[in-house]
Amino acid sequence: MAALSIENLIKNYGKTEVLKGIDIEIEDGGFLVLVGPSGCGKSTLLNCIAGLEDITSGQIRIGERDVAGLHPSKRDIAMVFQSYALYPNMTVEKNIAFGMEIRGIAKSERKKAIKNVAEMLQIEELLKRKPSQLSGGQRQRVAMGRALVRDPQVFLFDEPLSNLDAKLRVDMRTEIKRLHQRMGTTIVYVTHDQIEALTLATKIAVLKDGKLQQFGTPAQIYNDPVNMFVADFMGSPSMNLIPAKIEDDLVVLKGGDTNIHLPGPHYLAGYTDVVFGIRPEALTDPDGADRAGRIEIRPCAIDVVEPAGSDTFAVTTLGGHEATARLRADAMVDPGTTADLAFNLDKVVYFDPKSGERIRG
Amino acid sequence: MSVPSQDNAVQGSRIGRIMIYAVLVVFVIYYLTPLYVMLANSLKPLDEITGGGMMDLPRAYTLEPWRQAWSQAQIGVEPTGLRPYFINSIQMVVPAVLISTALGALNGYVLTKWEFRGSNFIFGMLLLSCFIPFQIVLIPMARMLGLMGLAGTTGGLVLVHVIYGLGFTTLFFRNYYAAFPTELVRAAQIDGAGFFQIFWRILLPSSAPIAVVTIIWQFTNVWNDFLFGVSFADFDSIPMTVALNNLVNSSTGVKEYNVHFAGAILAALPTLIVYVVSGRYFVRGLMAGAVKG
Repeated sequence: MAALSIENLIKNYGKTEVLKGIDIEIEDGGFLVLVGPSGCGKSTLLNCIAGLEDITSGQIRIGERDVAGLHPSKRDIAMVFQSYALYPNMTVEKNIAFGMEIRGIAKSERKKAIKNVAEMLQIEELLKRKPSQLSGGQRQRVAMGRALVRDPQVFLFDEPLSNLDAKLRVDMRTEIKRLHQRMGTTIVYVTHDQIEALTLATKIAVLKDGKLQQFGTPAQIYNDPVNMFVADFMGSPSMNLIPAKIEDDLVVLKGGDTNIHLPGPHYLAGYTDVVFGIRPEALTDPDGADRAGRIEIRPCAIDVVEPAGSDTFAVTTLGGHEATARLRADAMVDPGTTADLAFNLDKVVYFDPKSGERIRG
Repeated sequence: MSVPSQDNAVQGSRIGRIMIYAVLVVFVIYYLTPLYVMLANSLKPLDEITGGGMMDLPRAYTLEPWRQAWSQAQIGVEPTGLRPYFINSIQMVVPAVLISTALGALNGYVLTKWEFRGSNFIFGMLLLSCFIPFQIVLIPMARMLGLMGLAGTTGGLVLVHVIYGLGFTTLFFRNYYAAFPTELVRAAQIDGAGFFQIFWRILLPSSAPIAVVTIIWQFTNVWNDFLFGVSFADFDSIPMTVALNNLVNSSTGVKEYNVHFAGAILAALPTLIVYVVSGRYFVRGLMAGAVKG
């Protein structure tokens, strides 16, 4: 059963189209991440699901119910906001209880629910404090507690980690994932951070300019992007996208001094220009290469070497463009020299340079 | 060898400081002199004033002028002093301030958190009321009050002051609430709170600073108003300011300056007390709006 399904959702502000026909479906217990650059419409989409914004046309179903026109409080959802949106004049306890109080739930029951949630999130000792007396991470927990206590069908998270510092962000990310595994409730999560998207999601929806670019599992999005935008946006460092020529059945990357010739797949016949896409980890030192893949080794000029602890990144020039290779930490390369790099051809994807769309076999 | 030493810098700043304080002291004297004159003369018997020496301290202190002004002076037909008019003013000011502040808060809430088509236009129209001179509306307002059966009543004065205050109170609350995070309102909506519940439970508890500013502003304006009071009040609704004017301008008998001074202080006292008691909230409230907004 789908916990949430969105069909041909269109949202306009006056004449501006913000969402241009979105179709998404997430199964019960799934973790859907909406990701995209700022202004892509991901937060608007979340607000439409929550009922905080009216939709222009289309359908949103939560469970089996069409929720269009339904008040946010009647949609069986709970939301965690970017700023946490804790009521400043109420204690943590009152914050968590506010929704139940409005719905007229008995005091003894409220107490029990607060106790459960406080235990789960380990915020028992904070219950009597005001939000202004809490740290960022504690506020985050309380905001989640306020959502958890509703026990809704779908949780909505609007960039919940973007106000935290880097270390806390990673901790809370793990915490959210753990919570999801334990509760098994469907989550819709908005972020602009592609790492958050890849680590948390069971399904990712990549949005750009109000259009759904690709919808799939993190592995599909990462390994099998449908266009150059998705390929470039997801992954860090991002995929190397290099203009290439097709000559006979060879892919030619025009380098500085020498051209690099690689065997190309048969489906490129008929193209003269393509974009050659290779992720940094598929471009590595020969010893570090994946032996199961089809490996081609070519000499490349190394411009810059950036050791990053666990890996070493080397910047080289392919087809007149900078390309990043990800080498083992102890790979011996020096800037200004030429080194052999292994191309894993199984991981290479090709795009049409005009439309930006993927070329497939 | 002349090296600018730190001593010089300190001395320079000390001279500057003395100059600043000297200027400040001059201003303080300038502003406090009238108050001194009023206070000193209100505590003298009349012959000390008429005999010259208005700037002198009283030779014989007396509270008689205050008693006269409060309860015995001839203002209307009866020698009632200012007391009944003081009560009139209170009866006018309290509801006028509370109603205009409450409506301003509600307006500010709607104009920032429930924006609708034309809400900016309506805000503009409300603001316009701040800039219409009182004199223009006197005759139409008198006609309206007459039609509503409120002519000459305290209720009529309350209505006039509420209408005139609405522009400012709305402006204050709108700007304050514009800085109030909308996500809180949305969170409350998801929690199931309705329009008035959100206003009452979420916004109002955070509105103390701006409420204080608005109340002081309205209290001062309504209490000090003379024009509406003199135009629309009847014998039994005349406010303090108008009564003071009648007291001072009564053309019969001897001019009892000491009584006039005492009456003037009595008329100014409530606003003075409001400022002294809540002045620091006033500054704090203005700052809160300024820094956050």
